[in-house]
Amino acid sequence: MVTTSPEATRRRPTERPQLDPRERERMEHAFRVPRARFMLGVPIAIILLVWSFVGAEFDFAKLGEGAVNMGEFLSRMFPPTWDKFDVIVDLLIETLQMAIVGTVLGAVLSLVVAFGASSNIAPKWLYYPTRWVMNIIRSLPDLVFALMFVSAVGLGPFAGILAMTVGSIGSIGKVFAEAMESVDDGPVVAMQAVGASKRQVVQYGVLPQAGPLLVSYTLLLFEGNVRGATILGMVGAGGIGLELTTAMKMYDYGHLSAIVICIIVLVTVIDQASAVIRRKIT
Amino acid sequence: MTATTAATSVGAGPSASAEASMLPLVSVRGLKVAYGDGPLVLDGVDLDLFGGEMVALLGASGSGKSTLTKSLTGFAPVNEGSVRVAGYDLTNLRHGQLRGLRASVGQIFQQFNLVGRLSVLTNVLTGGLHDAGPVNLGGGFTSTHRKRALELLDRVGIAHKAKDQARSLSGGQQQRVAIARALMQQPRLLLADEPVASLDPKMSHAVLDLLHEIAREDGIPVLVSLHVLPLALEHSDRIVGLRHGEMLVSAPTAELDAEKLDLLYADIDEEGDDDGHHVA
Repeated sequence: MVTTSPEATRRRPTERPQLDPRERERMEHAFRVPRARFMLGVPIAIILLVWSFVGAEFDFAKLGEGAVNMGEFLSRMFPPTWDKFDVIVDLLIETLQMAIVGTVLGAVLSLVVAFGASSNIAPKWLYYPTRWVMNIIRSLPDLVFALMFVSAVGLGPFAGILAMTVGSIGSIGKVFAEAMESVDDGPVVAMQAVGASKRQVVQYGVLPQAGPLLVSYTLLLFEGNVRGATILGMVGAGGIGLELTTAMKMYDYGHLSAIVICIIVLVTVIDQASAVIRRKIT
Repeated sequence: MTATTAATSVGAGPSASAEASMLPLVSVRGLKVAYGDGPLVLDGVDLDLFGGEMVALLGASGSGKSTLTKSLTGFAPVNEGSVRVAGYDLTNLRHGQLRGLRASVGQIFQQFNLVGRLSVLTNVLTGGLHDAGPVNLGGGFTSTHRKRALELLDRVGIAHKAKDQARSLSGGQQQRVAIARALMQQPRLLLADEPVASLDPKMSHAVLDLLHEIAREDGIPVLVSLHVLPLALEHSDRIVGLRHGEMLVSAPTAELDAEKLDLLYADIDEEGDDDGHHVA
């Protein structure tokens, strides 16, 4: 068996890197004087917050005064009237259908776009333009897309679906790309090491790792699309939104209340189902 | 400077002819590697690897062990010198040859690099991706692939876990899966970069026994970088040692010069890594 020579055993460190004594002293104190950047950062953050409150005319007093009106508004919504329950159900089903189609199309297109927007998959010439396009889409509200598609294909759920699909590319496409970028590099290297093609590396190295996050984000997109579909309806892009707006304009508070309750039930059911699915896959 | 390489071929497998075992499967001459404008990580390394031998690669952290194994598979640049691996000239690879080279070299990693969510069987199957072809888009490997993968899982003693998720296995089991994945490539050479660094001593011996057995039975060279000298002495036919990017030791394990081995780690104390775990 080989052993080290006595010289090697006797060898001792001559010069080890040392911790700065001032840094050591600072770390030993239970209470530390904050660093300059912290002392500077906190006042700046407070000023920014106050500036935003003032600019947004945020007023607690006004909120307190208005609480009476708010209570009065809510009281008008009770009791809900269920005489148009069948209409609500039909429109909720349409909303759900819009959300399902919009989510599937949106998720598929977002996945395709995300390949181009992932720095560990796409070449630079594709990566940057894809990111720019996603930024542009993300900066436009879904309502703008809805108005655009209503003028293109007419009133109805089809315009809403198109708006949801395009809108989701900007939002969910970005998080898809970031999910793929954040995968552990080890299996990716292992795939390259076995001589796998680029497509195979993505299929076996990237997607299985990013899968749970992709599904989780898709469920989040679905939940968002159900809520979003109620808003898109306000501009005539199908779903329950138009009925909701009409009830408000007609001061039909009982009907409005019934619609809101149904939306809450639907969103809660979807949220619970999503949570179960998320638990199963992660 | 560069030491002479020992051309010993120990226990070549029955499939490797005597003539073939005399030709090195890996031939490295005067290899110099640097990353970007940085200093030389490898400085004039010579190395021959022959079929059937298990070669331990020793050296302190930063001595260039990982870079040497990477340079054999095109993961590190070759700045100067020549590198020939399984018939491929790495200094003159034609378009598309890199995948062919990598497909013929099985690699085993310290952190196993398995896809944790995929089954053990699928992880092994990925070793055959190079010849899977576009029909594999749906994830369906052929039954020939599957039979072979299961046989390899039998060989590494873990077939009963074939359906389990890879992440549910212990470290030693995961490294066995990684070895099966590398064998799925039907490799002409196995490179193992610190394959037992994350394993306990018992598992370490078991994994190295398995690698040694593969070298002998399949008649392929296995180059395994290690930090623990007793493991290298027990499980290798030959030891090569790097120090500051230069090949300082290259000799059959039985004929090792203990003083030269000391030199491999001579300045570790000064760098603060003085746990001495490499000392027998």
